[in-house]
Amino acid sequence: MSEANQAFVTLATSDAYCMGSLVVGKCLRRHGTTRKLVVMVSPNVSREACLSLEDVFDEVIVVDMLDSRDRAHLFWLGRLDLGVTFTKLHSWTLTQYTKCVFLDADTLVLCNVDELFEREELSAAPDPGWPDCFNSGVFVFRPSLETHSRLLEHARMCGSFDGGDQGILNTFFSDWAIKDINKHLPFIYNLSVNAIYTYLPAFHKFGHQAKIVHFLGRNKPWHVPHKQQPFTEVPQWDSNRNLEKFVNLWWAEYYSHTKLQENESHELQDAEPIEQLDMLAAAPCSTHVSTLPHRSPTSAASPTTPPPHPHSCESVSQAEDREEKIPSELLGKLTLDASSSSTCHQLEDTSPEPDVLSAEDSEDLEKSEQQEPQAEQKQEEEEGEEVLGAEAASDTARQEALKENLENRKRWEEGRMDYLGKDAFENIRLKLDEFLT
Amino acid sequence: MPLARSISVTSLSGLEEWDEEFDLEDAVLFEIAWEVANKVGGIYTVIQTKARLTCEEWGENYFLVGPYMESNVRTQVELIEPPNAVLRRTIDKMNSSGCKVYFGRWLIEGSPYVVLLDVGFTAWSLDRWKSELWENCGIGVPWFDREANDAVLFGFLTAWLLGEYAAQCEDPPHILAHFHEWLAGLGLVLCRQRHLPVATIFTTHATLLGRYLCAGNVDFYNNLAEFNVDKEAGDRQIYHRYCIERAAARCAHVFTTVSKITAIEAEHLLKRKPDIVTPNGLNVKKFSAMHEFQNLHAQSKARIQEFIRGHFYGHLDFNLDKTVFLFIAGRYEFSNKGADLFLEALARLNYLLRVNHSQVTVIAFFIMPARTNNFNVETLKGQAVRKQLWDTAQTVKERFGKKLYESLLVGQLPEVSKMLDKEDFTMMKRAIFATQRQCLPPVCTHNMLEDSSDPILTAIRRIGLFNSSQDRVKVIFHPEFLSSTSPLLPMDYEEFVRGCHLGVFPSYYEPWGYTPAECTVMGIPSISTNLSGFGCFMEEHIADPTSYGIYILDRRFRSVDDSCNQLTSFLFQFCQQSRRQRIIQRNRTERLSDLLDWRYLGRYYVSARHMALAKAFPESFVYEPHDPTSTTGFRYPRPASVPPSPAHSLHSSPHHSEAEDEEETYDEDLEAEKDRVNIRQPFNLPNKNKSLVEDLPEKN
Repeated sequence: MSEANQAFVTLATSDAYCMGSLVVGKCLRRHGTTRKLVVMVSPNVSREACLSLEDVFDEVIVVDMLDSRDRAHLFWLGRLDLGVTFTKLHSWTLTQYTKCVFLDADTLVLCNVDELFEREELSAAPDPGWPDCFNSGVFVFRPSLETHSRLLEHARMCGSFDGGDQGILNTFFSDWAIKDINKHLPFIYNLSVNAIYTYLPAFHKFGHQAKIVHFLGRNKPWHVPHKQQPFTEVPQWDSNRNLEKFVNLWWAEYYSHTKLQENESHELQDAEPIEQLDMLAAAPCSTHVSTLPHRSPTSAASPTTPPPHPHSCESVSQAEDREEKIPSELLGKLTLDASSSSTCHQLEDTSPEPDVLSAEDSEDLEKSEQQEPQAEQKQEEEEGEEVLGAEAASDTARQEALKENLENRKRWEEGRMDYLGKDAFENIRLKLDEFLT
Repeated sequence: MPLARSISVTSLSGLEEWDEEFDLEDAVLFEIAWEVANKVGGIYTVIQTKARLTCEEWGENYFLVGPYMESNVRTQVELIEPPNAVLRRTIDKMNSSGCKVYFGRWLIEGSPYVVLLDVGFTAWSLDRWKSELWENCGIGVPWFDREANDAVLFGFLTAWLLGEYAAQCEDPPHILAHFHEWLAGLGLVLCRQRHLPVATIFTTHATLLGRYLCAGNVDFYNNLAEFNVDKEAGDRQIYHRYCIERAAARCAHVFTTVSKITAIEAEHLLKRKPDIVTPNGLNVKKFSAMHEFQNLHAQSKARIQEFIRGHFYGHLDFNLDKTVFLFIAGRYEFSNKGADLFLEALARLNYLLRVNHSQVTVIAFFIMPARTNNFNVETLKGQAVRKQLWDTAQTVKERFGKKLYESLLVGQLPEVSKMLDKEDFTMMKRAIFATQRQCLPPVCTHNMLEDSSDPILTAIRRIGLFNSSQDRVKVIFHPEFLSSTSPLLPMDYEEFVRGCHLGVFPSYYEPWGYTPAECTVMGIPSISTNLSGFGCFMEEHIADPTSYGIYILDRRFRSVDDSCNQLTSFLFQFCQQSRRQRIIQRNRTERLSDLLDWRYLGRYYVSARHMALAKAFPESFVYEPHDPTSTTGFRYPRPASVPPSPAHSLHSSPHHSEAEDEEETYDEDLEAEKDRVNIRQPFNLPNKNKSLVEDLPEKN
C-alpha cells in the first residue's frame, strides 16, 4: 500500500485547539514521518489560525456542517449537542486516503510513529479510566463513506453514552475489547499524562518508552505556560512533576514551530505590509497575534501566527515571562528524570533540525529581540523613501494605531487595563455616546 | 395625648395617578436577569415574587429571559411551544443559527413565560463577541473572570433575541426590555448600540463597587462623593465589571434602584441619578381570621420557649414569661450586617437591665451560617434532659391520676400526703439531679471550625456575655440556617421569626433588606437602619415608625458610638413594654404589610416602564412627570390612639409604669380603619373626583 495514500489526521475546533494541532503536525514532521498530514478545522476557527496550519499540514480541511445539504447536516441539526463529535466522525470521509491515524489536538508525539499504519481499523489504546474501552485520542482507521454513514446512523439511534465521540466509537466498534489483540495499541501510544500518578511505579518503569502523550482533562498545555523554571511547582496542575515536563516539552515544540515561521513572515511582510494590515483590520479576532511574545512588533501583523486560546488566554498573560525563558537551558535540559531520560535522547536524536532546539539558537533569538526596534525603524525609513512621504506617514500612523489597539485589548484580557489613564470610564463614555445620540 | 397627624394623604411620594390612556396592547415586555429560574442570591426573590403581578398586567406579552441551567429547568420550568407566533419564529431562527434557546412556563405564582438561553452552548462565539464589544464600547473582559465572560455571552444572546424579535415583527413593535443587575447589563448596551427599537430599563439592586467598598471597612457613606471610582474599581480588580454596570446605567432609557440609599450610592458611584426608585415587595399572605398572626406568634413562641428550657437546664432562674426573644439573621457578614453593633448594644443593654433590677430577660439569637462541625454535645444534651424531665413528670402524673381515681371510686377524698409515694419522690429526685450542670449554658449551638477567630465568638468573649445567671442578656449563636428537621430547634425560618419578639438588623450596607420586610408582614417589629433600603422606605412613608414597630437606627449621620447608644435605647424601650403594649405594637406592624405588598409597590415598576416607553417611542406614548410640588408624599399617620408609650416617654423616665398604659385608649378597629384609608389599593385606578373615603378598598 502506498504511503502517499496514508495520512495522520488531527482536528481543531477552536483557535485554542489550533495551537495543539500545530504542535501535533510539527512534531510529526520533526520526527520525519513519510505520511501526509491532514488537519480538519471547524468553521469558527479564524482565518489566521488556518493559514498558520497550512504551513505545517499538507491539507487543511474546513468541515462546515452548515453548508452541506446532506444527511449529515440534518443529523447535526437534530443533535446539536454532538456538534464537535460530528466533526471528528467526519474524518471517515477522507476517502482520498486509504488508511489514517487520528491524533487528538491535545497529544504530543515524542518519536516517529509511522509503524501505526501497519495496524488495522479500528486500533486504539485502552482508556486509563476504563480499560475495556479504547481512548479515542489516538486510533487507526480506514476512511469509508459507508462506515461514515453507518456511524452517523448509529449515533443518531444510540447517541453517545459519554456525550462525546469516544462513547459513539466504543459502542460502534464494540468488539474492540475482546476480539483482536492486534487492534490493542500499547498504552505508550496514548499515554494519558494526567493519569500517571495512579500507577507511578509503572510510569517509572515504562514511562520513558512513551511515544505519544495525551493531555487529557480540562487543562490543556496551552492553558499552562511553562514559566515555571527551573521546574517549579505549577499550582493549576497536580503537583506531578512528570506532567510538568511534558508540558514544557509541548511548549518547546510549539516554539520550535513559531520560530521557523517568524523568518518566513518577515519576508512576506516586506512584500506587502499594508495589505496584511487591512486584512487584520477586517478581522478583529486576529488581535491575538500581537500576543506572541517573541515576535517583533512589526511582525505582529503577520497573518500566519497561530492565535492562542480565545476563552482563557493564559498564554497571553504569561507572554512576557516566556519572552526571556524560551530557552536555552530549558530545551537543553528537558529530561524526564534520571530514570526516564531516554525519551529526551529520543527527542534530540531523532530531531531532523537539531539547531532549532539548540542553545545557540535561542541566543540568536534573544539577540534578534534586542535588535527588533532598530529593524523596525529601518523598515519604516525604507518605506518612507519608496512611497510618497505623506502616504507613508499615514500608513505608519494607521499601523501604530492598530498596534496600540491590539495591545490595549490584550491588557484588558489580562486584567491590566489602564483604568487611570486611557481606559478611564470617561473615554468609554465618549465611545458610548457615539451611538446614544 | 393626641398628636398632630396628617391623614390627608393620597399616594406614594412622587407618584400621582398615571396616565390612564396608556395602551399596552401592542407592547411586549421582556424582563432579563441572570437569576430568572436560577437562584443565586436575592434578585431571584425579587423576580419570582413580582412575576404574578406583572403577569396580571401584561398577560401573554410578558417574557422573562434567563440563562438555561439544566438542573433548574428540570425542577422549575415546564418547556412548551411558544404561543406567540413572532417569538416562535424568533426562537426557531436562533436555534437554526447555532444557539440553544428554550421556551417554557416558570412554575411559580403567575406561571410566567420564560425564554432560557444556553450560554455555554454559544461559548465558541465568545472571542468574536468580545472583539465586537471591544470595538464598539472599548470595554474588554479578562479571560479569567468566568462570570464576566458569561455576562458577555448572555448579553450578546439577549441582544440577539431582542433584535431578532424586532425583525420578525410585521409592524414596528413596541418592545420594552427590563434588565436587572450588571450580569444582564450588556444586553442593554448592545440594544442601544445596534439601535434596536427597544425601550430599556436598567435596575441595580446594589452597586458592585458599593458592595466591595463596604466589605473593605471603608467609611463608605461619608466619603461617597469623594471616591475616585475608576481607581477604586480598578484597584479591586473589578474594573471591567464596573464598566459594564456603568455603561448599562449610562445607556438605559430609564435607570432605577431599589431604594433611596442605593440611589444616592448609584448617583456617586455610577454617576447617574436614578429616574425612579423601585422598592422590592413581597407577596403578602392574608389570613382570613383576624389576628391569626398573633395566634401563630403564641404557638411559635411556645416552641422557642421549650428549646430555651432545654438549653438553659440547670440555669432556669429566669421567668420565661418575662423573656424577650431578639434575633438577627442573614448572610454572615459581621460588620455589613451590623452584628458588631448588635453585640455591643447587647452588652450595654445587659448593664442597663442589671442596674435597673429589671425582671426582664433578653435572649438574643444569631442565625448566621458559618463553617461548623455539626451540633455540640452540650446543646443536644440540654434537649435530652428536658425531654427526660417531661417524661418523668408524665409518669408521675399517670400514677398520681390512677391513685386519685381509685380513691374516688371507693368514695373517699384522697389523702394528699399518700398520693406520692417514696418511689415517686426517688424518681423525681433522680431527674432533678440529672439537671445539675457544672458549666454555663453554651453560647454556640455548634462546634465551630474557626472557633478562635470567629468574629461573633471573639466579640462575645470580649464583652463577656457567657449566659451566666446574673446576666439579663443571654446569647445563642446558631451558625446554621434553621430547618424544621433539626434535632435541636425544629422550626423553619418563618416559624422562628413569628415566635420572636423583635428582629434586629442594624446593617451598614443593605441595599434593600428583605429580612426586616419579612418580619413586618408577619407582624413582628424590627430594628433596621437608615442605611438600609427598607429603613429609608419606611421612614419616608410612616410618620412615626417606632409606634408601628419599625425602629430605624441612624447610622448615617451619627458616630458608631452614638448609633450604638441609640440601638441600646431602642432595645431597652422594647424591654420596658408590657405584654399588652407589645400586642398592640404587633397589630400595628402587621397593618404595614399592605405597604410592602407587590400589589402596592408594583406601581413603581409600572411607572418606570411607562417612562421608558415614552422616552423610546415618544410618538406613541406620553409620560407626564408629575410636578413634585403637587404631591404631598404619602405618610402613614401616627396611630390614632396613643402609641405604645416608651417611644415618647423616652425622655421622661426609663421606668414606665403599666398603670399609665391601661388608661390609654386603644381602639384596634378604629385605628386599622384609618390606616387603611391611607393606602390606595393598586390598580384601582383612582378617579380624581372621588373622595378618599369612597376610595376605601374592600376588606380581603
